[in-house]
Amino acid sequence: MNDDDHVHWSEDLAAHALGALEPERAAELERHLEDCERCREELLWLTPAAQALPEGVERVEPSPRLRARLMAEVEADAREAHRAAAGGFRQRAAAWLRGSGSGPIGLRPAAGIAALLLVVTVAGLALGGALGGGSDGGGGESTIVAGKPPGVTATMVDEGDGGTLRLANVHQLPDGRVLEAWVLRDGEVEAVRALFVPDHQGQASTQLPPMAGVEEVMVTAEPKGGSETPTGKPLIAISVPG
Amino acid sequence: MTVKREKAERLADEELMPLIGEKDPEAFAVFYDRHGGVAYSLAYRIVGERGAAEDVTQEAFISVWRSGARFDRARGSVRSWMLSIVRNRAIDALRSRAGKAPKLSFDDDAILEQRPAEELTEEEAMRRETATEVRGALGELPGEQAKVIELAYFGGFSQSEISRMLGVPLGTVKGRMRLGLEKIRGELAEGLA
Repeated sequence: MNDDDHVHWSEDLAAHALGALEPERAAELERHLEDCERCREELLWLTPAAQALPEGVERVEPSPRLRARLMAEVEADAREAHRAAAGGFRQRAAAWLRGSGSGPIGLRPAAGIAALLLVVTVAGLALGGALGGGSDGGGGESTIVAGKPPGVTATMVDEGDGGTLRLANVHQLPDGRVLEAWVLRDGEVEAVRALFVPDHQGQASTQLPPMAGVEEVMVTAEPKGGSETPTGKPLIAISVPG
Repeated sequence: MTVKREKAERLADEELMPLIGEKDPEAFAVFYDRHGGVAYSLAYRIVGERGAAEDVTQEAFISVWRSGARFDRARGSVRSWMLSIVRNRAIDALRSRAGKAPKLSFDDDAILEQRPAEELTEEEAMRRETATEVRGALGELPGEQAKVIELAYFGGFSQSEISRMLGVPLGTVKGRMRLGLEKIRGELAEGLA
């Protein structure tokens, strides 16, 4: 790199900072910058002046309509992303339920929890009638037992405007972990917003939201304080027929 | 995961970017509320029409929403990055509308001045000072230097195009740009001293 070369390119640095170089010329200058420290330093010095130009522009307030349009698009995108994530969770949960899933959902559960892993899949008729609530709109109860005796017992009670999930014979959780329930409704995983832990007798229970449209009820082990989305394999997954 | 509005408001732009990359609408709303005004003002300054300026601003922010994770802090501030996206899209819109001249003038800061001082955060106050310095520096530039800078930055013209428009040698345009930008830079540096 000689001085003449530097001077030649140095003349274009201001135009480059202002975005006023033809694309081919800009590309050549970029290549020169890779080898010329002096030009890089000069450009570094000039760039804030170009970047400050918008700050001097007269302020004109945008219409609130613009914000509303933007947020509508952004929120629709976010819902779609959430739905896709929930779909992935559901597919992986389904694969795991079938015994073909190769890995956990999200974080791998702690080794101490492995003994608790259990899937309860309820046949359509067995639970459908109980959770469907009948003509009076609620009041059904269904108990299922999974695993070899004594096995974990899951009882779901439909109370019309919500429900209760009761578990029995649940192993104790490692320190710092709690149970968190989720429901899968319209393809989206919803947090039940209730955390629970088994008592000394291995019993645990939590409230469920209204069950209309719920396809599955799942329970995962989460860090103390709970999680916004499931971070591990479902310890218990109960299919609820529509 | 969605952060609450209050928490998002306490985060710096650089901290909001990963949340926007994770599709957090609250983080995005805070980001828009911080920079939407200047972004729209820049777009309006370049395209000269409210509707077109709204379209440009919307496209630019959606681009950030969809590519927020690609922000590289080594290349400058988030605000500068955002405004460079707005500027590029506005210039594209301008070029696609043949025959329309950009609005070129630096004047009237009445709207900014009307804002009550107590509403200004420290960061906003610094930006306002920068705005004053930039306007002051541009105002003090010889007319021919201010003109080439405005044509380049707000008009989207290349130095060769400016040379032909003004009927002056290319070397003269380069010199005016350089001198003008150095003076603005010097003004900014004094403000920081």
